[in-house]
Amino acid sequence: MIIVIGAGPAGLAAAEAASRNGTEVALIDSAPRMGGQYWRHRKSVTGYKSPRADLLFSKIAAVESITHISEATVWSAEREGDIFKINYLQGGVENSLVGEKVIVATGAYDRALPFPGWDTPGSMTPGAAQSLLKGHGVLPGQKIIVAGTGPFLLPVATGLAEAGADIVGLFDANSPLRWALSPRALISNLSKFFELIYYARLLNKYRIKPQFGRAVTALKDGVATVSKVDSHFSITGQQATLPTDVVAVGWGFLPDLTLGGLLVFKQKVDSDGTAIFSVDNFQLSSQRDIWIAGEATGIGGADLSLIEGEIAGLAASGQKISPTLLRKRFRKQLFADALKRSYPVQDGWRGWLSVGTTICRCEEVKLQEISDSVSELGAEDSRTAKLFTRAGMGLCQGRMCSRNVSDIVSGITGCAVTDTDRIAGSNRPIAEPISLGQLSDGNIRL
Amino acid sequence: MSQTDRFTFNGVDIQYEEGQSIAAALINDEKRELRSTRFGGEPRSIFCGIGICFDCIVVINGVGNQRSCLIQAQPGMKVESGQ
Repeated sequence: MIIVIGAGPAGLAAAEAASRNGTEVALIDSAPRMGGQYWRHRKSVTGYKSPRADLLFSKIAAVESITHISEATVWSAEREGDIFKINYLQGGVENSLVGEKVIVATGAYDRALPFPGWDTPGSMTPGAAQSLLKGHGVLPGQKIIVAGTGPFLLPVATGLAEAGADIVGLFDANSPLRWALSPRALISNLSKFFELIYYARLLNKYRIKPQFGRAVTALKDGVATVSKVDSHFSITGQQATLPTDVVAVGWGFLPDLTLGGLLVFKQKVDSDGTAIFSVDNFQLSSQRDIWIAGEATGIGGADLSLIEGEIAGLAASGQKISPTLLRKRFRKQLFADALKRSYPVQDGWRGWLSVGTTICRCEEVKLQEISDSVSELGAEDSRTAKLFTRAGMGLCQGRMCSRNVSDIVSGITGCAVTDTDRIAGSNRPIAEPISLGQLSDGNIRL
Repeated sequence: MSQTDRFTFNGVDIQYEEGQSIAAALINDEKRELRSTRFGGEPRSIFCGIGICFDCIVVINGVGNQRSCLIQAQPGMKVESGQ
């Protein structure tokens, strides 16, 4: 039995590929419906318009050797010899799955940067706006600013406009000219031009004019400050204030590496400074019998995730992998690298903060406290700053702030963030908070 | 039309459509402030929307620290602002 963790594009492709030779697959996911964040949809609405998704959904539903376990959150995982035990919570009840092989396809979440007011109601990630709309049919507000960086801002802004929102502004801090740095990736992925034309038409239809070199740098009492920023993200002086109900700001994605700390596989730091899992040519992790596919091996989008998932599924079930499939992955990887070059997150954001800006949302740690931990208490890395201030020790276990805390500390000390520091931020012994009652009821051993 | 039902939030009736999360139903009803923080008493709302950030936590039928963005609304649920 192969246990696939995550039912987004990578996990679905992995489960489908593994089932082709009849291998038993358990596909476990925390959402009520398969599709992950990318193909999020409502039962009653088929608004996500993806023939690829429909095909995978129907294949997986039809194959008897695949069991889909939905609304189940994996909170820990362990290995005993050749057997894996994946522990999950479903409807408040603790349960386990046992299998010989595991495919990890846990995806990613929006990367958020702090700014004054980012912790007030009305500020959210583009992913949150997208999930409210696509998953629940709810607009987060009437007047919305979509900002940050990356191509994901396009479907979010146009999707919200399509549902009736007024898009007050669409701001990308980077310049589209950065694409000129990646001619090879563009030439080998011509289909991406059609996507661009598709979104350009929608932007035109809803009269949304994207503006570049601009960032939301503050939000207060329903008014967003939009600043002109240079290529380092430093504010260059010109600012505008725009009344809005919502700012949806996101800076690309961070992979969910939670299971890496539990099953102990090797991580590395990607070209853009993101901690990711290290895999071989066939998506095998540093541990035998564990394959990893999708965003957790480097942010690359759904196209790349589907191919990686297929390779992982074929490898885990002992099927042949064609050189064509590997070449396809190479092409998509070129594009993923180009995305990282085109939409970097530069250090200048640290200049947007004021001393009272919240950095760790869970523990309400302000910039001042982190600065003091470095200048007065002598913290030299994020780990020490965390011990002094509790930044990153709240319920989210540092998923939102640990990378930002590292960057802030490094900005004060003048020492670059080490790979060890980047990777340490993603190791967690427990994947999800679990109550002692649930622990004791379920007869769990830690 | 989807079927609608109700739960209460801090004692007030909230209508929702079947399948909607508690947070989505509250945002739809223009109740953006889902809780206030432990130390500063600052208002917080939905932020990541996918169960990562824990900012939207509420108390559901007496059980605290529940992520309102993940949990589907059920008829008669008693939801209160967490801390």
